[in-house]
Amino acid sequence: MATETIVLPGDQLDADTLPSHPTKLLKLGPGLVHIPPNSIIATVAGRLCTDKKKNAVWIEFNAGRYIPASDDLVIATIHHSSTDCYFASISDYASNASLPHLSFEGATRKSRPQLAPGALVYARVTLSNKHMDPEIECVSSTTGKSDGLGPLVGGMLFSISLAMSRRLMLSRPAEQGALVLLDELGTAGVAFEIAVGRNGKVWVDSKSIKTTLAIGKLIQRTDQEGWVVEKQRIMARKVAKET
Amino acid sequence: MPREVGPSLNERQFFQQALKEKIRIDGRNFEDFRQVQLEFGDEYGVSDVRLGKTRVLTKISAEVTTPYPDRPFDGLFTITTALSPMTLPSFSVSGPPSETEILLSRLLEKTIRRSGALDTESLCLLAGKSCFSVRADVHILSADGNLVDAACFGVVSALRHFRRNDISVSGEEVTVYTLREREGVPLSLLHYPLCVTFSFYTPAPGEEEMVLVDATQLEEHTRDGSCTIGMNKHGEVCQIAKLGGAPTDAVMLLQCANVALQHVLKLSKIMDEKLAEDTKKRDKGGMRAELSAENARITE
Repeated sequence: MATETIVLPGDQLDADTLPSHPTKLLKLGPGLVHIPPNSIIATVAGRLCTDKKKNAVWIEFNAGRYIPASDDLVIATIHHSSTDCYFASISDYASNASLPHLSFEGATRKSRPQLAPGALVYARVTLSNKHMDPEIECVSSTTGKSDGLGPLVGGMLFSISLAMSRRLMLSRPAEQGALVLLDELGTAGVAFEIAVGRNGKVWVDSKSIKTTLAIGKLIQRTDQEGWVVEKQRIMARKVAKET
Repeated sequence: MPREVGPSLNERQFFQQALKEKIRIDGRNFEDFRQVQLEFGDEYGVSDVRLGKTRVLTKISAEVTTPYPDRPFDGLFTITTALSPMTLPSFSVSGPPSETEILLSRLLEKTIRRSGALDTESLCLLAGKSCFSVRADVHILSADGNLVDAACFGVVSALRHFRRNDISVSGEEVTVYTLREREGVPLSLLHYPLCVTFSFYTPAPGEEEMVLVDATQLEEHTRDGSCTIGMNKHGEVCQIAKLGGAPTDAVMLLQCANVALQHVLKLSKIMDEKLAEDTKKRDKGGMRAELSAENARITE
């Protein structure tokens, strides 16, 4: 079992904690900054993670506020509409992001989705820098397909921490993020639809109010109470039995 | 930026649907309060109230000042509420106070000040010349609905906890002793008023109106009307505030008053228990312990 390295902001990383590769350059992920000529400083408090294959190093942390980054999938709430774009809110304390009217699958001037203020959309961040308001889109600009993006109808929205939304979006949540909750619910036979936004929001839809609430509560409790894999399995089976 | 971003349409519709099925989002019964936690600070007059995710910190302070010229026999008592952007981004520091702030301070004013909970005559030292000015500062640290009930509970428990400086008057001279010279004197409170807020929901014409007690942020945003009843544990109503909103049946309001009494009794009990606990913690152990010359030392 490898020991975990916890770093604090301002810590300089030793060379022996960093992976090395004969040909690839070292890639720095979130939370690290390079001060030339050869010091790497941590900027956030968290757990240091390394990947030998990709020769990458980054920090897993649980920050409070979501800062938009390009290609992130987020759940945005439409605030109002102007002549050519919607203004949607990604986070409460930042300015609204703009979502062009035609940025939906198969949208033309004559036929486009009419979204009322308060509607939810699942979108991807296209422009994000600290000097400008962010921009989002609901269709892939290269292929023209939505890939699951677009308005979310029905269901319920739950708030979770940023670290939890990152865990839910991992490609292999069971091994990388110690998260078996959703897989367990699926194998136990609960039918539900879910969309996870990197901005700390998860949208759940299911057949009945009770099921939707139960699933959302499970995700929130896994996050807040720090459930391990075994506990997640037990609680998921309990919920599946009741619905 | 001062922007009230309300809940999304999906959340509102889900909530309405759940109400129809008699389900509350956090699983409570319609007439249940969230769990109340009350803690006192090391200093006298500091109370920390937690009502679910709503958290209110109240601090009481007193100083000697001159009374108003038209009320020479009364002391001064003010309640200030501070809503900072730390709680919600829609609260702004500069600019005119938002509607939430105004309503909160007005309800606290009516329930606690106007009902005479604090006997201002007892704060008078020399008629027309000097009196105590008691000030309650309410800080909302975290807002998840029902700020009024939590703030009222905080102010009343902090007032009961507070000890003002002891004084002695000889002729025209007033001597104010520090808390180290003489033990602090509790404030003279005539009764302990608490608030209970009810939220009304009219789903559709022909359907029954629903009432929820102690609304969370989402429940507050989606309500059609609300009524705050301030009363003490003897069942005496200090104030009823139903500020606009959908019209409500009068019989419903009477029923709400009965439910409010049950909650006020429960809350008063919690307040009494916590105050007793705090007194016991501060109790040095009676006369023997006080007269003992032994120093506190760290025993290994």
